Amino acid sequence: MLVLVLGDLHVPHRQSGLPAKFRKLLVPGKIQHILCTGNLCTKESHDYLKTLASDVHIVRGDFDENITYPEQKVVTVGQFRIGICHGHQIIPWGDVESLAMVQRQLDVDILISGHTHKFEAFEHEGKFYINPGSATGAFNPLDTNVVPSFVLMDIQASIVVTYVYQLIGDDVKVERIEYKKN
Amino acid sequence: MASPYQKRIQLFKECLTEETIDMKKLKKLCFSGIPDSSNFRSLCWKILLRYLPAERNQWESELKKQRTLYRQFLEEIIIKPGKEMHGVSEESSLASDHPLNPNPNSQWSAFFKDNEVLLQIDKDTRRLQPDLGFFQTATEYPCRELLEAQEMETLRRRVEHTLLISSDVERNRTGTTNIPTKSRTQVTAEFGHNPCKDGEEAHWEVLERILFIYAKLNPGQGYVQGMNEIIGPLYYVFASDTDSEWKKHAEEDTFFCFTHLMADIRDIFIKTLDHSELGIHAKMRDLMLLLKRSEQPIWDLFERQGLKPEFFCFRWLTVLLTQEFPLPDVITVWDTLLSDDNCTEMLIHICCAMLLLQSNELKKGDFAANLKLLQHYPPIDVHVLLKRAVDLRESAS
Repeated sequence: MLVLVLGDLHVPHRQSGLPAKFRKLLVPGKIQHILCTGNLCTKESHDYLKTLASDVHIVRGDFDENITYPEQKVVTVGQFRIGICHGHQIIPWGDVESLAMVQRQLDVDILISGHTHKFEAFEHEGKFYINPGSATGAFNPLDTNVVPSFVLMDIQASIVVTYVYQLIGDDVKVERIEYKKN
Repeated sequence: MASPYQKRIQLFKECLTEETIDMKKLKKLCFSGIPDSSNFRSLCWKILLRYLPAERNQWESELKKQRTLYRQFLEEIIIKPGKEMHGVSEESSLASDHPLNPNPNSQWSAFFKDNEVLLQIDKDTRRLQPDLGFFQTATEYPCRELLEAQEMETLRRRVEHTLLISSDVERNRTGTTNIPTKSRTQVTAEFGHNPCKDGEEAHWEVLERILFIYAKLNPGQGYVQGMNEIIGPLYYVFASDTDSEWKKHAEEDTFFCFTHLMADIRDIFIKTLDHSELGIHAKMRDLMLLLKRSEQPIWDLFERQGLKPEFFCFRWLTVLLTQEFPLPDVITVWDTLLSDDNCTEMLIHICCAMLLLQSNELKKGDFAANLKLLQHYPPIDVHVLLKRAVDLRESAS
């Protein structure tokens, strides 16, 4: 099952839209579910995601227009419990120990967070953490040089194969990371 | 004193237990219908479709060979690619591949292309014979390798649209986190039947698998809508065999019988042949010519009303009448069709007989009424129909 993970689009405030190279890759009919870390920020971006897959799960970022999105969300994909949280609430931002606290609170196998606009995927104490970065490459207050990135997870039973798409220069670079639940 | 029915059964028994089965004799017997008792039909169809050779002593080795071959297809086409694709492998070819790869040579793009075909097959097999519960119920002999494989999904899951089970996390002012278990009611009914539990497989999923393998093995032809209707009666007969030894292998047997049957009638499923001598249009022309010869007034009427054969007999010819009658009647018609040396010719004669049997009605109706009549063919006794078709054929020759 293919699950797209992305967030921090900041359209139209910081970027006009997804990079053309990404738009070309993301076509309907391949992805079944979308997990979004928020900060879209408008309804138009939400509608765009809906065209890619019908099942979209979004949590609220600090700049989202829509205030009805939940702060945190837990979804179940096969054997995995996945927690989603935008991440501006987790202080210090992107800190491993603080993230681990949220992971324990939600009791999830995979925790997805955003806000730092920097891609990260790592295992910590047997749990998996993903930060898809900013799909549009929007700037953030601490960093103006942001590499656009998003993540695609192929989930089969107890294995997650994570593909990371990064737009470096003019090329899309893909990396593959595996996580096995024990 | 044995009843005629028992006599017939005796005849079948004798014919089927001979060392070398007399095909001519068997065909003649089957032509007028195969008795429902025992597993005569399932056996006879396999012989008629040339899946089982006439020599009985070769059956065992032949069956073994073919069934292993099917397992190999299954392994190569569905199981192996599925495992390679999702499994943990460090092969160089896969390491550079990714799901959104636009390169047409990529394994993933081949996977998505297959999914397009699969989606069509899935839709069609799901709604096969919806008024019959059989195809929606679980089979006794599912494909264990597929169901238990951890690395891959079954074919139906590959194209199924699902919603993830999700719950919003709420935190109140005192800081306690609460994850309410919101139970979203899943869509459960499939034509009034409960979906199969995990580890079970419905009969239509078996058909889905057979058709997918067939489509992959015949890339020139691929899957065409209507094949599902043709495979339906075959599988139904084999999977309801009274002998569990045969029933167990219904999947493999159906695949090969279907392949043999398609070899006879495949021309009508190939789009590029549609307007050629072999295609569907030629068949419809033959039917209309036959009608003209046998009953000119009806033909004139059709001409006058502009009732083109495409409007009604396109479906009759392509799916071998499976949609016109309830399944038991279809099976009786097929007994005759399969045992005839020239399947298509017989089919055309049956279609013509269908028109002739309704000639009184047709003469009364206008265009709309006639079209409706032919598209929703009224229930009739198929034995009368078959008798008429045979008469028609004898008078023509």
